[in-house]
Amino acid sequence: MTQRRKLTRWLIVLVCLHGVVAAAGFFAPYDPVEQDRERPYLPPMRIHLIDAHGHFHPRPFFYPLRQRKGSFDQYEEDTASAVPLHFFTRGAGYRLLRLVPSRLHLFGATAAARIYLLGSDAYGRDQLSRILFGGQVSLLAGLLGAGVTLFLGALIGMVAGYYGGWRDDLLMRAAELFLALPWLYLLFALRAFLPLTVSPLEAFLLVVVVTGMVGWARPARLVRGVVLSVKELDFVRAARGFGASDLYLLSSHILPETASVLLTQAAILVPQFVLAEMTLSFLGLGVPEPMSSWGNLLASLQQYSVLVSYWWMYLPALAIVPFFLGYLGLASALQQRSSAYKIDGESGWRPT
Amino acid sequence: MRYFLRRMLHAVFLLFGVSLLTFLFSALTPGNYFDEMRLNPQISQATVAALRAQYQLDRPLPVRYLHWLNAVAHGELGFSFAYNGPVGPLLWVRARNTLLLTITAMLLAWLLALPLGVWSASRLGGAPDRILSWTTATLLVIPELVLALGLLILAVRTGWFPTGGLVSVGFESMSPLQKLHDLASHMVLPVTALVLGTLPMLVRHVRASVAEALQAPFLRAAVGHGIPRTKLLYGYALRAAANPLISLFGFSVGTLLSGSLLVEVVMSWPGVGPLLVEAILARDLFVVIGGVLLSMIFLVCGNLLADALLYWADPRIRIAASAK
Amino acid sequence: MQPLLRVENLAKHYAAGRSAPSKDKIAALDGVSLSIPARTTLALVGESGSGKSTLALCIACLEHATSGSIWFEGIDVAALDKNQQRLLRPQIQLVFQDPASSLNPRWTALEIVSEPFFVQGRFSKQERSDKAGTWLDRVGISRKMVSQRADELSGGQKQRLAIARALALEPKLIILDEALSALDCSVQAQISNLLLELQSSLGLTYLFITHDFAMAAQLADEIAVMDHGRIVESGPAEKILSSPGHGATRSLLAATPRVPKTHSVLVNY
Repeated sequence: MTQRRKLTRWLIVLVCLHGVVAAAGFFAPYDPVEQDRERPYLPPMRIHLIDAHGHFHPRPFFYPLRQRKGSFDQYEEDTASAVPLHFFTRGAGYRLLRLVPSRLHLFGATAAARIYLLGSDAYGRDQLSRILFGGQVSLLAGLLGAGVTLFLGALIGMVAGYYGGWRDDLLMRAAELFLALPWLYLLFALRAFLPLTVSPLEAFLLVVVVTGMVGWARPARLVRGVVLSVKELDFVRAARGFGASDLYLLSSHILPETASVLLTQAAILVPQFVLAEMTLSFLGLGVPEPMSSWGNLLASLQQYSVLVSYWWMYLPALAIVPFFLGYLGLASALQQRSSAYKIDGESGWRPT
Repeated sequence: MRYFLRRMLHAVFLLFGVSLLTFLFSALTPGNYFDEMRLNPQISQATVAALRAQYQLDRPLPVRYLHWLNAVAHGELGFSFAYNGPVGPLLWVRARNTLLLTITAMLLAWLLALPLGVWSASRLGGAPDRILSWTTATLLVIPELVLALGLLILAVRTGWFPTGGLVSVGFESMSPLQKLHDLASHMVLPVTALVLGTLPMLVRHVRASVAEALQAPFLRAAVGHGIPRTKLLYGYALRAAANPLISLFGFSVGTLLSGSLLVEVVMSWPGVGPLLVEAILARDLFVVIGGVLLSMIFLVCGNLLADALLYWADPRIRIAASAK
Repeated sequence: MQPLLRVENLAKHYAAGRSAPSKDKIAALDGVSLSIPARTTLALVGESGSGKSTLALCIACLEHATSGSIWFEGIDVAALDKNQQRLLRPQIQLVFQDPASSLNPRWTALEIVSEPFFVQGRFSKQERSDKAGTWLDRVGISRKMVSQRADELSGGQKQRLAIARALALEPKLIILDEALSALDCSVQAQISNLLLELQSSLGLTYLFITHDFAMAAQLADEIAVMDHGRIVESGPAEKILSSPGHGATRSLLAATPRVPKTHSVLVNY
């Protein structure tokens, strides 16, 4: 497959994945904070087409769960009452992309019984809905964090590469220090040494800022390399010959050349930053309840009882895997493409 | 020799930088260990004040830093407020536990990666190579957190392995053989998680380096000389591919203390990781700094080791270094 | 009448690499003096490494000389401050050897020639476009090539583009640093004709840097020969070509491929 097509393929995959999460309200049957204290820790329910008597129904349906007689946490299907599944139904209200109010859901059941495709948690909240909405928080944290890091890295790399001298030395020594530290430690220490009890929004912003400040060193180095080679090119010289200012040279000529490096770094960094948010939230330093994120959805697994009895609480962990796949595929496609178009004509200045 | 002196100077500079950074962080911390104490009505303000004075928390930052440097020079790493004892012994015990895990995992990973990578490179494009590539790609896509949690759940559901801790209750009264068995069974899960986390990348690197080395003309000449296949692969190709692998090895050594934080926390293994997490949350200053510093020492030593090994193994580097 | 450009004792030293002892300095220019009257062409000939490009960059105010002075229309260039230099810059323009690196490959021809106007900041978008279009016409780039990216043009077209860009701000002095060296012979001929035509109609002064005496012979009124950072010989073109004095000049002349007499016999045949 040509490089262009590979790139497009991965982009499409990623757009679809992000699209599902962005339209979480549509794909999720319920509101993520809606509790149902009567039905805590229900296992995932199955959808059937053929009922207990062997009849085929064109409309999928499910059986609500009831406790098995004589046990606390064993459930069985109540085959007496089949609840049909409706598609494109009206359900809980939500705002698509925080803008458009809507009540349309991809699927849902009547108000009588709730369908828990991926089980429910301690408060009876639908895990599928929580995973979808949690994905919004985690992915956004990853994207914003990567944005902050790339911005910082590009800025520092350009200053270091363009001006050189003591600025370059100082910044590159700092970069070495940051690169040498194990990133998890740094992330941890940075976050933990900031106020611990903050509102969910503040916590989210803190996570973004902290993750952003940890990873700038590698992009900065890469950008610096590009700047060093581009600033010696004759067309930059020529522009200086017309009286161009440094800012103009940096923005019009040098910055566009760094685009491919920055894009590849973005594809590599976003999944790492999503993972960082997950780790922080899992350990209690990230986004707190009731806001859901993939990380804090896993936090309950730290209790032994949950681990033993409620295996479906692990499922949020798998949600990130397709995204990792998509981003890593994109990154490798980008890397292949940039090495195919080698920068030639790098004559620069030759003493003659 | 000058080469090494420069690298060591570099390393020392790095350590200073890190210790300073960590100290700075702590100074910017809103809140410290004694804030909790102050809220506790059973402890009088005077006691808190006295304790603060004893640990010099009221002195300005540079003074505290110098004081701490002085202590480190004498081999003391400070005092842990949470554990109410010196940091040193606390850290050594935890570090020992961590190293037990990570050294085992590292050896296992390398012992598996080398033959797998070499075999894969020798049959480039064949079915086993493709299966291996596919497996490593799949593993790479699964983050360590997900892997560790997954293994934990597996263990819990099957009951095959103990889920947490270093040893079982009643360890002291077991026979030596039983002790070994007990320890080993506790180690299986975390080691598996660590190995699965690092193996894919290692295998890929080995495969890539060996595949490149196999293209070299001198290797074709060796084939022409009739050298048997195994000797060819391990004696010739692997040695030629060694440079990037040696750097990788040094890097692995460097992360012996810091790379297992997540696994240790998830699997409740009493190593440096959980200690650090607790200490950071409790604002136990000296434990944090001690832990971070210890990890950094490992990292730095790992890099130096990689440099030393490269110097010893590759004559080209020796020549380049002595030419400077 | 004072010359347009006068260089006196220009010297430029570079500190050597970090590993060398500090006393070692590389002298790219070691006391260069020359002068160019207005509306003439001075060819600066020398081997690679003789310091020609360094001289070009210093004259164009893109590098600072270590010592010596540069007089442009009687003004001491080194004595000017940054803002004044900025005003002077449009008067002296450079055309580089390798158009692949002297033109931003992603920009279109129109954008490249409009850039000087954009940087100077004095013109509206329409004005920039019109002026650029005029210059592109002047150097022989057709209308349909105007919106093509620079990396889609041929070598000859690229150099025409570079010349158009150099002409945009209506300079008095154009320094051509090996501008024809990377081109095919036939294209070289076309471009040098273009240069000559532009010089006579616009009253330009050229400093033509080259290592090839044949090209110098075509374009130059005066020739200066450079070797190891110094001017070793200079004078009117015919004199240098017919009776070279310095050893460097003679070896450079000897290296120039000459058409043997037999060829003219064949052509006439």
